[in-house]
Amino acid sequence: MSRYNQMKHTFTYTLRILLYLILIAPLLLFAAYAFSTRWFFPQPFPVEWTMGTFQRAINDSRTLSSMAQGVWIAFLVSILSLILALPTARVLGLRKFRGRQLAWLLLFLPTVIPPLAVGMGLNILFLRIGLAGTITGVVLAHIIPTLPYTIFTLSSAFARFDENYEYQALALGASPWQIFLKVTLRMMTPSLVVATLFAFLISWSQYLLTLLIGGGQVITLPILLFSAASGGNPSIIAMLSLLFVAPPVMVIAFTARSLNQHGNEIREQY
Amino acid sequence: MTTINILSLNKTYLNQSAPVLKDFSLSTNDGEMVALLGPSGSGKSTLLKLITGIERPDSGDIQFDGSSILNIEPNKRGAVLMFQKSYLFPFLSVEENIGFGLKVQGASSETIRAEVKRMLNLIGLPGIERRKPGQLSGGEGQRVALARALVTNPKLLLLDEPLSSLDTSVRMNLQEAIRTIQREFGVTTIFVTHDLGEAMAMSDRMALLLNGGIVALDKPENLFHRPRSLAAARFMGVSTFLNGDQLPVKCEASLSSEKIFAIRPEHIRIQKEACKDSIQGVVSDCVFRGEYVEYQVAIDEMTVRARMTMPAQMFSHGEQVYVNFQSEKLFEIHW
Amino acid sequence: MRGHPLFSPWLSLAPALTIVMVLLGASLLYAVAESMDFISVIGQDEISLNAYRETLNLNSEFWISLGFSLWISIASTFISSALALLLAVWLSERHGDADTLALNWNLAFPHLVWSVALLLFLSQSGLLARWAVALGLISTPADFPILVRDRFGIGIILSYISKEIPFLTLTILAVLRSQSIGYDVVAENLGAGRWQRLRYVTIPQVMPALLAGALLVFGFIFSSYEVPALLGVGYPRALPVLALRFFLDPDLRARSEGMVISLVITLIVSVVAVLSLKIEERE
Repeated sequence: MSRYNQMKHTFTYTLRILLYLILIAPLLLFAAYAFSTRWFFPQPFPVEWTMGTFQRAINDSRTLSSMAQGVWIAFLVSILSLILALPTARVLGLRKFRGRQLAWLLLFLPTVIPPLAVGMGLNILFLRIGLAGTITGVVLAHIIPTLPYTIFTLSSAFARFDENYEYQALALGASPWQIFLKVTLRMMTPSLVVATLFAFLISWSQYLLTLLIGGGQVITLPILLFSAASGGNPSIIAMLSLLFVAPPVMVIAFTARSLNQHGNEIREQY
Repeated sequence: MTTINILSLNKTYLNQSAPVLKDFSLSTNDGEMVALLGPSGSGKSTLLKLITGIERPDSGDIQFDGSSILNIEPNKRGAVLMFQKSYLFPFLSVEENIGFGLKVQGASSETIRAEVKRMLNLIGLPGIERRKPGQLSGGEGQRVALARALVTNPKLLLLDEPLSSLDTSVRMNLQEAIRTIQREFGVTTIFVTHDLGEAMAMSDRMALLLNGGIVALDKPENLFHRPRSLAAARFMGVSTFLNGDQLPVKCEASLSSEKIFAIRPEHIRIQKEACKDSIQGVVSDCVFRGEYVEYQVAIDEMTVRARMTMPAQMFSHGEQVYVNFQSEKLFEIHW
Repeated sequence: MRGHPLFSPWLSLAPALTIVMVLLGASLLYAVAESMDFISVIGQDEISLNAYRETLNLNSEFWISLGFSLWISIASTFISSALALLLAVWLSERHGDADTLALNWNLAFPHLVWSVALLLFLSQSGLLARWAVALGLISTPADFPILVRDRFGIGIILSYISKEIPFLTLTILAVLRSQSIGYDVVAENLGAGRWQRLRYVTIPQVMPALLAGALLVFGFIFSSYEVPALLGVGYPRALPVLALRFFLDPDLRARSEGMVISLVITLIVSVVAVLSLKIEERE
């Protein structure tokens, strides 16, 4: 019996280690290609390490500007989503009203309608009104996938929020604005952080919408990576991949705990 | 400091047919503690919401010291609330929580620190400024909440079942503390509860609330011994009601069958032997409750509930007994 | 804050709803208009169903792509659901926050980058092929099986499976861990064996959630572009790849065909989404 248990224990242990190994494997793989040189075919492991690819990447104005543009767009998208989502999420999380179901349905349409169709339609519309190829256009397009997620995260946080904290502050003499800043936002901070970070990530990793709306004028890292991956040098592909996953990897590492609550909701956005 | 006049309040919530408050009026004296006692759904919490301004009444008026507050912003009314849960802001320390009201009014940090210190001494928890609400026990949390409410020198303190989530011992302790501190501040207080004992222990006057209106308002001892109406009597634990002609004791009033008399269970005595003015009955139920025994005795069609303080003679189910009403304790009920 | 009748909840919903409705509505409207050749870009403003006729023609590539897309979507969904079920049952018998954390970790790798990783790992000159040489299994890259950019979509399916297993596992785990009473324990107490418990207790319990999740996964895979574009071949192409190729064609008439295909995808995905919603509601 104890022998059987021991075997079972070892098996569980091995499986777990395997699981964790798979998790960091992509990073190791990218690092191996990105920081090695003259790694010719049959050699199973890199033989010569180099920072050359990295230096070339960060000295390349195209890479740098694509990253800067991606960060700027993602920043605008997350701020805008947050501002749009806050009042909506509050009402959806705290109030019961006629048509609530309908509101949910409408707000969640963007998760159902494929980005492909949205992007193509917006491409024509934005060409007409002069938003195609502009940062504004891309930001507007990115809001479509980020907004439902932001609303969802915040509204489930509001559903757990007890309005009596606000009444308490009101009775103690705080003005509505003070209540919003000092009580509501403070109580919501963890969810706000998660919602913002993920709106940022969804925008940061958006390929199709950026391609269709940016039309070759707005270049972000996923666009560079995609065209490199379609037939480029493995070292460069790997380096761009590393730069591309750096923000998500950091965010997930930092927010890992709260993800147990929210993580699964955004997966399909990604 | 403040007298409160609540005049003919009416409130019906949207999508609801029955009014929550119906022509509700209540006046308090300066520095008085009035307990509002009522079952859930009787409109107690709605009243507090109307006073603090979270909700607006459909009609009627609320006045502090004779002037209406209905058009004053909720955060300028000076009516502070204390709930069943302490609602201390979890992200602020005890000091910041107590100082919250002063801070939003723009007080200097020295004033705040001094005031917080004074309040902490007053509630008997000196030196816990740096603690977070999560590190406090339920009773401590409510004390801090009380300090937070009172530090702004409010005109009116509203207590919404502030003790109902606490253990019995902590609760007794806090009842006294709240009462003492309230007297010391002289702050007019409305105290909502569904616990009769708590209402009697703490209040100067007690109002019984039923279906959105007050059915009785008096000092606790008066209400307890001489409730005027049937509803109030039921509320106060009276369950024996007799028509005038059913009375075993003969007096002038008893001749009329129009009048109704009631008696508290502890004023009914049960004994083995017959005596003057006693009626014969059969014990139909008997519950031992430690400090007293509760009997139900069937007398013809009627059931009488009696409460005998221990030590008392014990009777068993089905036993023939004699019921003796203490005639001087009978009181008349007005419909 | 106040329950004032004029303070309608729709006022708070207005900004977000407007943005979503305007952007989505306009894009769909334009898509439909374009699919009917109603585009004045080339000076044509007559409604025609030419693009539909062209696309849905029995000899058109559309049908091949539809078949290919259905194949990769169904295969990926089915395999990842089955594996996720096993993994979830296995994990639910142990309690560990670490495992759920581990499953969330894959969020750090968007589909695009995940596909790139597979490309570097599985291609004929990739890392796995190098190791195969080192182990003496093969001698040249050509000996290594074509796992990515293959005609059968194996690379695409592998990429989706590895990304969707964590999602479905977490969905199932949420159900299994939310119940306060362990029905499993009850069943065991009543004498059910390990497989009987899985068959009669666990699977019926998680089925609605798994089905709803699987339909979502299907809809996502069926309509997404990046993975089949990176890991697929020129023929057969997945539907979204075909749609975008037509749409970006310099010949403006092809654009309408791209739109038709994208509308067909939208229609199929919407039906699947409604199904998924119905299943979740029935729960």
